[in-house]
Amino acid sequence: MLVDVVQNTIDGLLIGSSYALLALGFTLIFGVLRRLNLAYGPTIMLGAYAATWAAREIGAEGLALAAITVAGAVLGGAYVERLCFARRGGLRGAATARGPAIASMVASFALWMQLEEVVTLALPRHLYPFPPLYAGAPLVLGPFLLRVEHLVTLAVAVLVAGLLAGLLFGTRFGLAVRVVVDDVEGARCVGVNVPWVLVRVFALASAVGGVAGYLIAATSGQVTPMLGMWSTLKGLIAMMLGGLGSLPGAVVGGLALGLIEVHSQWYVGPSYRDLIAYGLLFLCLWLRPAGLLASPAARARLAATG
Amino acid sequence: MAGPALEIHDLVTAYGAIEALKGVSLTVADGSITCLLGPNGAGKTTLMLTTAGLLRPRRGSIRFGGEEIAGRAPHAIVGRGLALVPENRLVFPAMTVTENLRAGAYQRRDRAAIARDIEALYARFPRLSDRAAQPAGTLSGGEQQMLAVARALMSRPRLLLMDEPSLGLGPLVVEEIFRIIRELNQEGTTILLVEQNAHLALTVAHHFYLMEQGRVTFSGDPRALAEDEVIRRAYLGSARG
Repeated sequence: MLVDVVQNTIDGLLIGSSYALLALGFTLIFGVLRRLNLAYGPTIMLGAYAATWAAREIGAEGLALAAITVAGAVLGGAYVERLCFARRGGLRGAATARGPAIASMVASFALWMQLEEVVTLALPRHLYPFPPLYAGAPLVLGPFLLRVEHLVTLAVAVLVAGLLAGLLFGTRFGLAVRVVVDDVEGARCVGVNVPWVLVRVFALASAVGGVAGYLIAATSGQVTPMLGMWSTLKGLIAMMLGGLGSLPGAVVGGLALGLIEVHSQWYVGPSYRDLIAYGLLFLCLWLRPAGLLASPAARARLAATG
Repeated sequence: MAGPALEIHDLVTAYGAIEALKGVSLTVADGSITCLLGPNGAGKTTLMLTTAGLLRPRRGSIRFGGEEIAGRAPHAIVGRGLALVPENRLVFPAMTVTENLRAGAYQRRDRAAIARDIEALYARFPRLSDRAAQPAGTLSGGEQQMLAVARALMSRPRLLLMDEPSLGLGPLVVEEIFRIIRELNQEGTTILLVEQNAHLALTVAHHFYLMEQGRVTFSGDPRALAEDEVIRRAYLGSARG
């Protein structure tokens, strides 16, 4: 009994670490642009399909597959950014205006559909195998089983979160990102090239998503055209649970989502898993609309916009 | 001296179909404090934003130190030595006072000199020094204005544009800001100042321009005119003056 609780908690945290990675990329884009990129998951899927194609056609394997996934996601992200999120100057710039934010979101939905069509044209079967990260048996620790792929994902998630924090708080680029987040017009006044920063944030977020996508595909050993929607949903829910635009919130939200899913699957049943996850998300947004770890600034912004 | 710091010629800036600047020409002499007076809606802020690159002009020329900068991106203009203290200050509210100052030096790479400049500004603005580790959003209006000035100075500008630095502040703080404006100018910084308080502005200005409805309607040397004449024009408009 207790063994089950502990095993489920371990599984939840490990599965949640892939959600945390997805949410880290998502929250970077949202935190800086204040816009929702629905095509985030599909750009990850584009990367995973590019790697699948490379594995089938030219026998790519191992780290090369990870690199191809990341490169595909970054290219896909750049395409989405150019079409949906790039903006020209102008003082009361579009970054905070409500109309263009909705236009960006709707446009990113259109590109989601487009990217799904592209990958299913290139690789039309519903399911393709993806070379696994690790072919051996899981680690046995007393009564507990640990999948090596999950441990790798956890380690990568911790590493990526640490690198992002170091980048944001220890570099000149990080300073530029933080001033853009804090006040776009103030950032322009001190001489930050805002469009340049936005493009790089988008590329960085897509790269983080690509890392997540590779680990998810290599853990499940397969890709399907559902990967895009799945990544957007899991990343979005984890980000909303943790607090929009918050890096620690993305990690906490991802882990929390993993825990909720595994426990509810075990105690209530697999068919209720997502129902319970969405129910708790609803409850969380009701009680703490800005998320579990929202910054005071984010809460104030939410209050101001009603 | 090597010509004027700033030469604006026939500048037109529009918001959609509405022209806020309808062909403005003015000159800021190197080493001067030049003041821009005029009622609300005259286009003073638009002129400042266009000069700093935050708005694109429809036509016209802006020469800074002899080089054409009209329509350039703001980061290119800051790099050439022109800094704006914007109306409403636009400090970074969630970042500390020290981080705000570092952000002001965003385009500089000389870390040791940046650290020295921060120390020097803290000596000049002791009230900011007391609040160094506080988020800028928690400062009073006067402190935020000091911070906005200090942040602009971190880029080591040759020309400082100040848009209504006294707006909404108490008389003591305003007095301190004008003392600092005078000091900065004596140290060699050229200043273009937009100010609602014409009386105060004319105590520091070497030259002034009066703007109305997107045009320069009057200009002169405040010491060559009776002050009440200038103020009458500034408040009532030249047409009736």
